[in-house]
Amino acid sequence: MEVTAVVDRRSARVHALDPDAELVAAARAHPREFLALYDRYFERVLGYVRLRIRDAATCEDVTSQVFTTALEQLSRFRGDGSFAGWLFRIAGNAVHDVHRRRAAEPLIDDRADPSPSPEELVLARERVHRLRVLITDLRAEQQHLLALRYGAGLAFEEIGPMVGASPGTARVRLHRILEELRRRYPHDDA
Amino acid sequence: MTTHDEPDLQLLERDLRALAEPRPADELLRIAMRGELTSRLRPGPRRRLSMRIAAGSAALGAVAAALAALALVGTNGTGEPSAADAAIIHHALRAVSPPPNEILHVRLVGVQNGVTVVAETWRQTSRPYAFRVAKGEAGHQGEFADNGKTSFVYDPGTNTVSESPGPRSPAFADPIWQVRQELASGRAQLAGTVVIHGTALYKIDLPHGLVGFFAERNYHPWYLDDPQRDGSVIRLRVAAYEYLPMTPTNRALLSVTAQHPAARIERSAGGGAK
Repeated sequence: MEVTAVVDRRSARVHALDPDAELVAAARAHPREFLALYDRYFERVLGYVRLRIRDAATCEDVTSQVFTTALEQLSRFRGDGSFAGWLFRIAGNAVHDVHRRRAAEPLIDDRADPSPSPEELVLARERVHRLRVLITDLRAEQQHLLALRYGAGLAFEEIGPMVGASPGTARVRLHRILEELRRRYPHDDA
Repeated sequence: MTTHDEPDLQLLERDLRALAEPRPADELLRIAMRGELTSRLRPGPRRRLSMRIAAGSAALGAVAAALAALALVGTNGTGEPSAADAAIIHHALRAVSPPPNEILHVRLVGVQNGVTVVAETWRQTSRPYAFRVAKGEAGHQGEFADNGKTSFVYDPGTNTVSESPGPRSPAFADPIWQVRQELASGRAQLAGTVVIHGTALYKIDLPHGLVGFFAERNYHPWYLDDPQRDGSVIRLRVAAYEYLPMTPTNRALLSVTAQHPAARIERSAGGGAK
């Protein structure tokens, strides 16, 4: 009885904190309801992946894989963190595996790809290339934090728990990363 | 925290956001992935990933290599196939989804009852979706066209263009339209890979019986197998699938009268012969 009570309290607390809790519960009961979670997170996951992987086709493949994996493993999501945190952990792992594989196959390294991507039509090609290289040189957890903020567009209140820190600490960590990038990424149109 | 007070950091943040900015084709991607998820939510057996894709191949190039990697990524090596299949179907859908403000040119060639037939279309990919279609026995195709306000029919036997007010259905003008719809339906199934006349192709079963063959190299449509009521199958070769810019020369491809300047014109609803 006591253990049950503890689990129930924790569950109730997470339910209250996680804005997706109701959708997750619905998807567990009726898997088709997962599509509502997909609709809510498609753009954010795609943005997250785009910040970490340049190749457009690979971004789409990874995004598709993230949701497919989430759908298949939803029953394993215990709800002791937010659904978004769990989803972006899947995204981070998928990106990591692509990078790991590519490290072993330098011929398909993103940085070696000379073909222009759409964002290069907006930003100067050299600057984008430079920024891509700088991001790739960051540690995986730094890339993850950067992509949660600027790719997925999440607030620090959401990011903090995802990276095991308070919102304030997440903000400070991100600021350090930006400072590091800024030192190596001079703007000519500032 | 003062990032928003510092010009350099603001510019850096702007550039970071630009890397991940939404793009016009994202909606198509969202629909395609939603379709794949929907198909996974239906009960039924899952097919296994073909060995050809799982093993990878130098000839398949970077995308296929990434697909092979992803087949392992998502499943921790357990071999779940459908994500890779979905990616291939998505790429095929993307390859047959035309950009706006261009002209889609498609030429299909097949043999029906021993006769070579050709269907060739040019269609604007934005409003008013003007189009021209040449269709029939090779060398003797009839033509019709529409500019959004008036439809035109060309009779090669009499070298006459008949004009009448009112548009025709634009679906007639794009033979790949059905393929596109069915690829996006979430019910298309990758049936494997085949080599036809030396070209490596993905074979995709479409929900209403059509079978599409798409080049592994670039996902362009290569053949369509069209089952007939008598049980036979007509194989259509996609001899051309391309997007043409809207130049004056290419615009003329949309017009029957521009293609047959010497033809006699008959106008209905008060129009006179020229």
